[in-house]
Amino acid sequence: MALMKKKKERETKIPDAGMSDIVFLLLLFFLVSTTIDVDTGIGLTLPEYQENIENTVPLSADRLAALLVNENGDVLLNKKVIAIPQIKETLKLRIREKIDLPKNKKLVVSVKTDRKTNYNLYIQALDQVKGAYFETREEYAMSTYGAELNDLDADVQDDIRKNKIPMIISIAEPEKI
Amino acid sequence: MKFEKKRAASKQEIPTSSMPDIIFMLLLFFMVATTMKEFDVLVTYKLPEAEAIEKIENKRLVSYVWVGNDERIQINDNLVDMKEIGEIMYARRVAIPNVIVSFRVDKGSDMGIVLDIQQELRKVDARRINYSTLLKQ
Repeated sequence: MALMKKKKERETKIPDAGMSDIVFLLLLFFLVSTTIDVDTGIGLTLPEYQENIENTVPLSADRLAALLVNENGDVLLNKKVIAIPQIKETLKLRIREKIDLPKNKKLVVSVKTDRKTNYNLYIQALDQVKGAYFETREEYAMSTYGAELNDLDADVQDDIRKNKIPMIISIAEPEKI
Repeated sequence: MKFEKKRAASKQEIPTSSMPDIIFMLLLFFMVATTMKEFDVLVTYKLPEAEAIEKIENKRLVSYVWVGNDERIQINDNLVDMKEIGEIMYARRVAIPNVIVSFRVDKGSDMGIVLDIQQELRKVDARRINYSTLLKQ
């Protein structure tokens, strides 16, 4: 007959009363060291570097929206003086009339500044240009699909962003000093 | 007459056994959401504000360039010269081919310095940039 040793029942317990304290400590550390800052900004892709500009072909006038911000803060859009808050509406008209044109006939916005132009003014102008594109896309999505851009299917969104209303912003070649 | 406080017959303890779990959950959230402060910024700057802004989704791709209100330029942890930018950014671009260069430029700066940095970036083909701005309220 096999003898079974009677197991002694012992209470084994890891003391966990202090665990929450330790975890609190960790939590505090992360709370203090956390910076939840999202990087926000205006994205752009610079044009390729050109050794000599003479080799390039100029754009046709109806595709080009040349924006110049000079050092006094005056804005020229296609040689007409306008104020910075007017840029958005003016560009929206031109973007809108090119929605159905093929890709190589879309509007190109060229932004140029003087060396002494204030950076903030340049950002404000660029903001207006970006805003014009964003709003035109929203309006197009609303009028064509009856929904906001972000609620559409991914491929429809892509089509609007890439084929219908592509954002072509070019930074003009700075002048040589 | 002696008053005696009435006590409920049931247990009167708040169960705290799951408190560590809850705190662990909070802890995990902060651990995931944390990005440690990576740089000591040596220049003083105030970012401009704009409305039509986007988020940079992938922070790993970002390389920062600071321009302070005294026209000093900082990359990584060092103040650098205009001539050095090309070399530094070339190395960055080789390490991360689709690097995004984020401009943190003081809003009082002149465009001249920004244009110069941009020309340097174009030369080394690091052409994705982002002007860091705050949201206009």
